[in-house]
Parts: sequence; structure tokens; C-alpha cells
Amino acid sequence: MTKVKICGLQEQRHVDAASRADAIGFVFAPSRRQVTIAQAAELAKHIPADTDKIGVFVNASLEEIEDAVAGVPLTMVQLHGDEPDELVKAIRVPVIQAFSIRTKEDVEQLKNSLANYILVDAPGTEYRGGSGNVFDWSLLDGAGIDPSRLIVAGGLTPENVRAAIEQTTPYMVDVSSGVETERQKDVAKIQKFIKQVKDDSMEQTIEKVGFFGKYGGQFVPETLMKAVKELEDAYNEVKEDPEFHKEYHHYLSEYVGREQPLTFAKRMTEAYGGPKIYLKREDLNHTGAHKVNNAIGQALLAMRMGKRKIVAETGAGQHGVATATICALFDLDCVIFMGEEDIKRQQLNVFRMKLLGARVESVTKGSATLKDAVNEALRYWVANVEDTHYLIGSALGPHPFPTMVRDFQSVIGVETRRQILEKEGRLPDAILACVGGGSNAIGMFYPFIQDKEVKLIGVEAAGQGVDTDKHAATLTKGTEGVLHGALMKLLQDDAGQVQEAHSISAGLDYPGIGPEHAYLADIGRVEYRSITDDEALAAVIGMSRLEGIIPALETAHAIAEAEKQAKSMTKDQILIICVSGRGDKDMATYAENLEGLS
Amino acid sequence: MNRLEQLKKTGNKAFVAYIMAGDGGLDRLKNQVQYLQGAGVTAIEIGIPFSDPVADGPTIEAAGNRALKHGVTLQKVLEELKSWTFEVTIPLLVMTYLNPVMRFGVERFATECSKAGISGVIIPDLPYEHKQLVQPYVDKEGIKLIQLVTLTTTDVRLDGILREAQGFVYAVTVKGITGSRDEMSEDVKAFMRKVREKSPVPVYAGFGISKSSHVDMLRDDVDGFIVGSAIVDAFNEDRIQEIEPLIHAVTATHSV
Repeated sequence: MTKVKICGLQEQRHVDAASRADAIGFVFAPSRRQVTIAQAAELAKHIPADTDKIGVFVNASLEEIEDAVAGVPLTMVQLHGDEPDELVKAIRVPVIQAFSIRTKEDVEQLKNSLANYILVDAPGTEYRGGSGNVFDWSLLDGAGIDPSRLIVAGGLTPENVRAAIEQTTPYMVDVSSGVETERQKDVAKIQKFIKQVKDDSMEQTIEKVGFFGKYGGQFVPETLMKAVKELEDAYNEVKEDPEFHKEYHHYLSEYVGREQPLTFAKRMTEAYGGPKIYLKREDLNHTGAHKVNNAIGQALLAMRMGKRKIVAETGAGQHGVATATICALFDLDCVIFMGEEDIKRQQLNVFRMKLLGARVESVTKGSATLKDAVNEALRYWVANVEDTHYLIGSALGPHPFPTMVRDFQSVIGVETRRQILEKEGRLPDAILACVGGGSNAIGMFYPFIQDKEVKLIGVEAAGQGVDTDKHAATLTKGTEGVLHGALMKLLQDDAGQVQEAHSISAGLDYPGIGPEHAYLADIGRVEYRSITDDEALAAVIGMSRLEGIIPALETAHAIAEAEKQAKSMTKDQILIICVSGRGDKDMATYAENLEGLS
Repeated sequence: MNRLEQLKKTGNKAFVAYIMAGDGGLDRLKNQVQYLQGAGVTAIEIGIPFSDPVADGPTIEAAGNRALKHGVTLQKVLEELKSWTFEVTIPLLVMTYLNPVMRFGVERFATECSKAGISGVIIPDLPYEHKQLVQPYVDKEGIKLIQLVTLTTTDVRLDGILREAQGFVYAVTVKGITGSRDEMSEDVKAFMRKVREKSPVPVYAGFGISKSSHVDMLRDDVDGFIVGSAIVDAFNEDRIQEIEPLIHAVTATHSV
């Protein structure tokens, strides 16, 4: 299938409009479309990882080119001047060399190019190509050009691109002025151009969706591709279906007990001495945490897909309990994978799952925690993919999971938004939520993303400290990597081996982070902080005694950070904490660590 | 990799052996490759250990963990290959998960693989949709990016994958993960025939091939076989000579 390159982009809205393109071109040569390396690097944050970022140069030095390759970073380089062969060979990334085509003789030259790809264009005014004119495509006929190296440019528009593809069958088509109106890029034209190339009725296209900026994707073994695509289709269908939403909300209200209050925390407000503190009470859900919101949504979806077997992973056991509960409610088979280490830490939840009729499989591999439980659940899904749905518990995994889990958890933020407007007549100044994989946080944050005045803070587990090797602060310390089906941020070593995460709370010790969080961190929309085990334990005591609410250990991380944030806030400000779960499951840990209490 | 094309033309079957680099220590790799080359295998897949190998069964996962304990990394494996002075006469492939490659740097991976004499790479968690992350770089070095197809691959995707396939197609014979099995499901044959009819390159069956009976069952429907867990086990337990009959069952010349 012919690929699409949209060239000469300078604004984020145009990059977003080109999200289905295979390549984005940045012009570094003098031109009205010129961008700096810094501008291109900023735009690149919004481009999916597997989309090529191509830099366009005219007679630039190797040093200039290398600076741009490293700085953006670029994945390909396009040369439009009279660059010598030595330069073409010296460039580390694949190279496209541009040629103007007037005659058959011009076509003959193409064969001598050492570049990986040859771009053919109409003669330009200042350098090869760039004129926006169409050349005579028939000049390429019988020239023996390898179509897998051929990129066609020059005067392409949404109207003529199909004809160009049919005549030249190139590897890629390249457009710039053809998607502009009055010398400015035009969102509608960009989308129309891509649609023309990709949505030809003769070819089933594979859409590129499921990315948040560069993060996300579907990095799973081929065996699972059919299942994730089916899930994607099924989810797209129910998203638009009022009946599905009605059913989902019916169970949320009648079974889970929603909507949950947004409780004004009077004594915490007084004790912190700063903003008004409100608590979003996910701890009041049936099963004791936010996890059930997602479990219901996915179970209903699985049944629609005709799948009555469920596999899930669990860390602290809250997602396992939620899944086992919903499987009992809907009479679905349920297998839960849980790390041996977590089974020891969360015995009460293990028993709850068994009581509810689930099969709990102990995972002894690796660190025997959440990461390894996900591995085993994925393996089980690979082997049983035809009749089993993988009910993932956080905003992680291959597309559509991060989007779907976010949507099912967004009920938290949607309710919160309405409630705070009712109570205070305005939006809050800050919202905090703890982050392991990040599902309660993304569900809380998502309905507020567009409200730039609301500060959003995700709180990770710093374990014994982010400067030790025992923490789970992925966004503070992690680097880009692929795990469990998505490109995200990971705790990993120099060789790309995923490291074990550590936190006293079994629900936060995951070495990755949902791809949308990685993106929100990159663009600076959400701030991510980290809280140590000891700070979280202190917050458990604080909240229990101030408000009579014993929080889950995971939640306590958000509480501890809220206390810090409150110090720099004023009395007329509002701060909301997502109380993601209650502390019942953590009593053994509390008893062990807080024994000095009398 | 042209040898694989040649082989297909003659009607003889290919035998691709998988070994986990550094299982028992990286110093064993050289002897393992020399041994398999001598035993008549067609190509060798060199597995790179990874902390979270979700496409692999217990045998290869355990081998990977043993290799990780020896401190084996992608870089060390490539350095080891570059240091060899004996003649490697068969194609060597690298099989690795995506994350070590991304951490290493994709373009650096391609150039270092080239220096190490690698003919092809297999990345099980890099589906066709995302191959652009790696494809241009390996293309630049003339290294093939081998695609996998499975029983669950839909016809539309199969067509797309095969249209752009390079080297050979890795056809997965089971719905599960890697590992030896006692049974081959009957619908596998039909699947292999379908893939082979459409594929411009040879089609090799892999995952779960451990017995001569598997080979006999699929012989007429594929161009070759990929054997992993059985070889990994045999090397680990120092009984690799027991694999030789399986190699010969595949590579022995049959009248076409």
C-alpha cells in the first residue's frame, strides 16, 4: 500500500490532522515552511512513534543534518540540493534524494543515486522540486525504477493523488502545497488527501490509531492482533450505542452504588491550613475501589462479543476482586493471575476472589508482582484468544485498552466536575490522584484536560526513594520503551531489560505507566510527583484520624502529596483528591508498619 | 538469504534452528552455531534474552532467564558474533523483542547487525502495522525483517503482510506460545497451504515443531521448519545429538 507523507508542517493542529499519515516532513531549508530544530522537536511529541519524521534539507552540511537528526529526532533525511554521494553515505538514517523530472534523461539519473529512496518532483525554481507543479508521470514508464524506492511528489492534491498512484505505484506520495489554502496548511485538505490514499475501496486499510502523541500502539504478538482489532471494532461500536451506555450506567448506579459523593474534608482543610479539600469517594464503591467501574464496562463488552471467559491480572487484588465480582454477577468464567509476592501481601483479597468463584493463579516468575501477572495473563490470552477476553485493569496495554479503560473510568471525573460546579460554582484549582498504571488518575483527569486553569497532579510511588533502586516512579525515572503492548515510559536498564518496581502498595509497583500519562507528562499538561512508602504510611494515619476515612495505601500517596501542595495554596482555592480505594485490604500492612500506634 | 530462495526452487526443505544466546554462558554460542552448521541446518535464529518474553513458552523463557543471569545483552551478543573468525556459511538471524532494540537504538541495531553478519531479524512484538519503526533501517543495511503469520491472522492482514514479506514467512502452527507439543491441530495444514499459495517468499512452520511426525504431517505444505524449544532443551541438557534425526528428517533430499 502506498504511504503518505505530509510535508512542511509548522503547527500542532496540522500534525494532529495528519495523525494517519505515514510520514511528516519538516523543512529546515530556507522556505516559508521552514522550522527550527526546537520547533520540530516540539511538534514531534505529538506524532505517533511509528510515523517517520523526515527532515528536508538543501545543501546543508553533515553537521547541520546530524544536529537535526539527533535533536528532533528525525528518522529519515530528504535532500533537495546537489549533495555529494559521500554525504548521502555518511548520514546514519535512511536517505531520500530528490530529483526534478523534465525529460527521460532526468529519469536515467535516478539509477545512480545511492539514497535509499528517490523522490521525483517537477522542476522547482530554487532547488530540486518544491514548485507545486505536476510533472509528466509517464516519463517514469519503462524506466526500470524500483517502485519500492520511489516517492512521487510535485503538484499532488486530494483530487489527483489516486491517478498518480495508479500510474506510478510508488512507495510513498509526498504532498505540501496541495493541502494548503492561501499558502497555509488546511486541516480538511490534509485529512482528505490521506483519505484518498488510504481509503481506496480496492484496498482494506489498516488505520493508525491508538496513539497519544508518540505513545501507545499495538505492540503485541501476531496471534493477538486479531483479538485487539476485534476489540477495537467492538469498542468503537458500543461507544456510539446509547443502549450500551444505559446498561453500563444501570449497573453503576444499581450495583456499584454510584454516584459517589464529593465529600468536603473539613478537618483536613483546617489541618492543612490552605485550600478547601474535597474527596472524591471511590472508596465507597461496591468492592472498595474504582476498579469496578472498568470491570463492568469491559465485562458488558466481552458479552457483546460473545466471550464468556475472562482472564485478568491483579496487583493489590482490587482489580481481581472487581473482576471476580462482576464475573459472579454475569456468570462468566474467571481466571486471575496474581504475583506470588502480592498474594502474600494481599491474602484477604485472594480469599475474596476465591469466594466469588474465580480461579487465582499464582505467578512465581520474575519479581512475582503485577508486571509478571500481566505477562502471564497475556500468555493465557494468546493461548485462549478465541473465547476469552482479557479484562486489563489499568489504562495500559495495546490499543484500545488505554482508551477504553480511560473512558470507563471517566465517570469519576465527569461526576466530580458536575459536583464541584454544584457545590462551589467553579472548577477546582488542583486535582490529585495516585498513579500506578494510571486508571483512576486518567479517569479523574480526562474530563478536565481542556480546562487549562485546573492543575492536574499524578502521584507515583517513590518506594524507598527515587534515588534508590526500590521505587516505582516511572515518569520521574523511566525512559521510553515497549512493554505489554504499548510504547510508554519504563523502568529499564541500559540493555532494555525491564526492572522490578518497588512500592509498599501492591497496586503501584508497576514499572510502566499508561501511554496517555506518558504523553500528558511530555506536553506538560499533567505534573507527576512521587511519594515514599513512609510518607504514604504517615498520610494513612493523618487521613484516618482527621476524616474517619481509612484510605488504601495507593490512595495515601495522593493524600501525602495533597498535604504538600496545600502549603503553597490559599484559602480561597479548591483542591480535590481522588480517594481511589479504601484501606480494608491493607490492614495487615498497616498493622505491621504502624504497630507503634496505640 | 538468497540460499533460502535457492532451496525452495530445488524442493528441499529448510531447517531453521533457534538457540537462546548465552544460555549457559555466552561462550557456548560459538560452539552451538558451529555444531548446528555442521549438522546441516539451513539457518540459525539467535534469540536475545528479554525480561518479559510474552510470546514464549516456559522452555524459552527459562533459557532467557538463565542467559540474563549470565549478564547477556543484545550488545554483547552482537560483539560476540563480530569476534568470530570461523566461516559462517549459513544465514544467521536475530530474534529479539522490540524493547531491547529500541533501547539500543534502531539504526544502531541495524548497522551493528550488518557488521555482525546478520541476514534477517525477527521481532515477535512488532506487528506489520508498526514495522515502519524498524523497516527503513534494516532495509538500508540489506537485512530482512521477517514477518510472522498465525492461525488468527485475518485474510486482509495476511494479504498485506505477504505482499511486503521479505526473506521468509514465519508461519505459527499453533494459537498459543512457543513450546514443544504432542499434537498438531488438523486445520494447520490448510492454513499452511493458504499462506504458501499467496506468499512470494518461502513459508516456514514454527512454534511447537519437535517431532519427526510434525514434520511428516506438514512436509508437503511448507518450505521448511523452525525448531526452537526442542533445541534449547537439548543444548541445556547436553543431548543435542538427539536432535540430529529431526534435522535429517527435514533436510534429507526428497524426490519432488
